[in-house]
Amino acid sequence: MSAEVLKYTREEIEALEIAPGAVHENLEGWIPELASEDDLRQALEKAFDYRGDVTITLKNGERVEAYIFNRQTAATLTDSYVQYFSPKSPNKLKLSYSDIARLEFTGKDRAAGKHWEDWLKAYNERKAAGEKNIALVPEKLD
Amino acid sequence: MAIPISQVWTVATYVWKKKLAGVKRYPTVLMLEPLFRCNLACAGCGKVQYPPHILKKQLSPEECFAAVEECGVPMVAIPGGEPLLHPQIVEIVNGLVARKKYVYMCTNALELKKRLHEFTPSKYLTFSVHLDGQREHHDFSVCREGGYDIAVEGIKEAVKRGFRVTPNSTFFDGTDPNSVRAHFDEMMAIGVEGIVLSPGYSYDKAPDQTHFMGRARVRKLFRAILSNRKKSWKFNMSPLFLEFLMGDRNYDCTPWGSPAYNIFGWQKPCYLLQDGYAETFKELMETTKWEEYGVGSGNPKCANCMVSCGYEPTAVLDGFLTLSGFWGMVKGTFSTYKSRHALKQLNEWDTHSHAPLVQIEKSARALEETNA
Repeated sequence: MSAEVLKYTREEIEALEIAPGAVHENLEGWIPELASEDDLRQALEKAFDYRGDVTITLKNGERVEAYIFNRQTAATLTDSYVQYFSPKSPNKLKLSYSDIARLEFTGKDRAAGKHWEDWLKAYNERKAAGEKNIALVPEKLD
Repeated sequence: MAIPISQVWTVATYVWKKKLAGVKRYPTVLMLEPLFRCNLACAGCGKVQYPPHILKKQLSPEECFAAVEECGVPMVAIPGGEPLLHPQIVEIVNGLVARKKYVYMCTNALELKKRLHEFTPSKYLTFSVHLDGQREHHDFSVCREGGYDIAVEGIKEAVKRGFRVTPNSTFFDGTDPNSVRAHFDEMMAIGVEGIVLSPGYSYDKAPDQTHFMGRARVRKLFRAILSNRKKSWKFNMSPLFLEFLMGDRNYDCTPWGSPAYNIFGWQKPCYLLQDGYAETFKELMETTKWEEYGVGSGNPKCANCMVSCGYEPTAVLDGFLTLSGFWGMVKGTFSTYKSRHALKQLNEWDTHSHAPLVQIEKSARALEETNA
């Protein structure tokens, strides 16, 4: 994290009219190439930010479906780990970076399509079609 | 200020005990998120965008109580998700009230009216109802026509039954300050205890990153809203935090002031940013690189944040621990913040970009003059 902290001056920050937000990549379906240690670290950082499940293939061939909610990086891959929830287990699980052979962004990106413009567009279309009580509803959990 | 004396006294003695004990970093309110599931689908909300198996998870009452005991705070806010969807929420709230914690139960109030009979009025329990302004603004903000009417029905019923109620509003770019002031009138007429408000913030996990005000625009908006106050308006917030929003005070963030605990653990570093999780509160306090967060750090993720969870703790500590802060708090409680400049701004506010259904203007506008 430390190296990522860019330095704005306080004056620049105080004068901001519109905040420059983060850019979210479209990662759904992405299978990163994990040729180097850096590739793996960067891909897992993206998996940590991803609002969907990923599929991890371990070096022993086992495949794990996971929502990665935490990562702890250290000097070696062995000491670095991700924490995740699997749809098949109620408990928090942990996996060392060094055990990971392949990563796939297989789950639906739950943040995609949730922009204000998407709502504006949908609202105006539905209103024009004469619909009443227009609302966005949460996705079904089953 | 609408906060009861007993609550003010509890918080004041808590921070003084910490100061006398030489504790440098301590929280004032726990943000306890017992689940992420919600019955609204607000565009741009970054709190509920999870796969179904995550949304089905929830903290047990025992986990909630352990987290509260672990961090030792006098106040607990219960956001989410929608806490009323938690099947054991009554047990959680009752357990916290029994521990004499001041509980702010956050809700969008869609279920409030029919669930009220399960709760008992107490000075320790406040329903903090999400209401982002007048009917049209709120409905559009929560992406549900009719949401305002349901929430207001819930508020009225809660007030009638003797509960403490505070409408809680977040304001984004495009907010019309005249409408917000009318909203304050409407809420006070209903009989709520006080109003809670905060500017929105483009935290990393929010799916929509283009509609958040920078700090200069926040100050301009809140100066227009909060200057020339009506005597009938009450705020359930530190007057110093409101002065900060108006640009009358410069504060740094206290990211450890409102730690968040949820199904993932203790969130680093704060309620809105997610840079990882700690297993224990002690680990959170000891391993988070606090110097990398807050406006003073230069971290771009914190650049436009003026949100209450980071800055109200600063204002609270200033108010209770410094003479100038305490005097400012007393003055602020009784001041109407008369300002001719702000009145002119209010009267000349460009409502063009605040037309119904187009609350928000996307393009980067030229730098607007502020008097902050």
